[in-house]
Amino acid sequence: MNNSLSPKAIREVREGTCNPLGAPQVTTDLSENIILTSLDDLHNWARLSSLWPLLYGTACCFIEFAALIGSRFDFDRFGLVPRSSPRQADLLIVAGTVTMKMAPALVRLYEQMPEPKYVIAMGACTITGGMFSSDSTTAVRGVDKLIPVDLYLPGCPPRPEAIFDAVIKLRKKVSNESVFERSKAEQTHRYFTIEHKMNLVFSENTGEYLNKKSEKSLNSSSNKKINESELVEDKTIVFDNDY
Amino acid sequence: MEKDLQPSKDNSNDELVDQRGIVSKKLLNENIENESLGIDHIGVEILSVVPNLLYEAVDKLKSMGFNYLQCQGGYDEGPGKRLVSFYHLISLDDIDKIDQIKEVRVKVFLRRDSDLSIPSLYSIFRGSDWQERETYDMFGINYTNHPCPKRLLMPEDWRGWPLRKDYIQPDFYEMQDAY
Repeated sequence: MNNSLSPKAIREVREGTCNPLGAPQVTTDLSENIILTSLDDLHNWARLSSLWPLLYGTACCFIEFAALIGSRFDFDRFGLVPRSSPRQADLLIVAGTVTMKMAPALVRLYEQMPEPKYVIAMGACTITGGMFSSDSTTAVRGVDKLIPVDLYLPGCPPRPEAIFDAVIKLRKKVSNESVFERSKAEQTHRYFTIEHKMNLVFSENTGEYLNKKSEKSLNSSSNKKINESELVEDKTIVFDNDY
Repeated sequence: MEKDLQPSKDNSNDELVDQRGIVSKKLLNENIENESLGIDHIGVEILSVVPNLLYEAVDKLKSMGFNYLQCQGGYDEGPGKRLVSFYHLISLDDIDKIDQIKEVRVKVFLRRDSDLSIPSLYSIFRGSDWQERETYDMFGINYTNHPCPKRLLMPEDWRGWPLRKDYIQPDFYEMQDAY
């Protein structure tokens, strides 16, 4: 069913319901043909209408997130298209507990996403560690210790409607941004670091465990510096940590 | 033979005289020294063997009909006390009679200051692969002749055994309380 009226019909309706002076002809012509906006608004409108989230989930929160993909909640109408590559994603919804073993992978995924990028910390686990915050040996207490978070979405797990709410709030945030002020919001060098004098050594862990002959199989205390050029040329180095 | 493995009411008088369970007795007849630890609250017989005899004992139990390693795990009796590796064996002959299944639990007690090594059961029950790896990961019990004695859950370069009662949590930044 096509109920949309043609421009001509709209004009007739407008004239028929207008005051005796008639419809303002000039502004009508303008508003039908010209859009006045700022470049920021146009740019933001395009970006907030295509917030592509990374398909990332480590626990039960992702079950709720995955419900959005289906037809019942259908997050395509917000322009959210799930991406399996961080290179194509703008939005990282951290759904599920992050452990110390998963943390480097998460940080790498975040770093691989192109700017500008947004992070929603979804669920209690990613905000404070949730039910794992009291006695877990590995759960990271709050994903904001690893990556900057734009929006906290509480719940255990949050309902799909709550995720929509978070996405809408994030869209508001995106719509208020300006290209010229982007440099102010960028991440700065936050830590005081000095030039280190550490040597590159390979992991002591050989994966042999019980069969390991000594506690220190690699002599890491030798002060021999490893040239980077050597490393690049010598392609026979194998990280022998696999199964 | 397998019928009388199940502790029944008939020979409960015998058990009062000799505290050993039926499985324990049968193992003794096969010249495998073991200690009977009675039964638990649902009547599953518990026995313990020394680490050196575990492989033979489980091998014998498998030939006696306990052909499925339902669970393997470990626990810590407390700070300064022993570490335990347990094996819950059941017999899966007739799935229709699942309610009257034969079960036995074998425990191996290890002093904390010993070398903490137990033979791996991988060559008898393939399913013990990851379960033994997890017990190694959490308690530091070594399973000799395991095909891949690596940590399972924790990062591979982790130091310490998280589920031991005397484990001290490192104060990593990531583990500190959220602001």
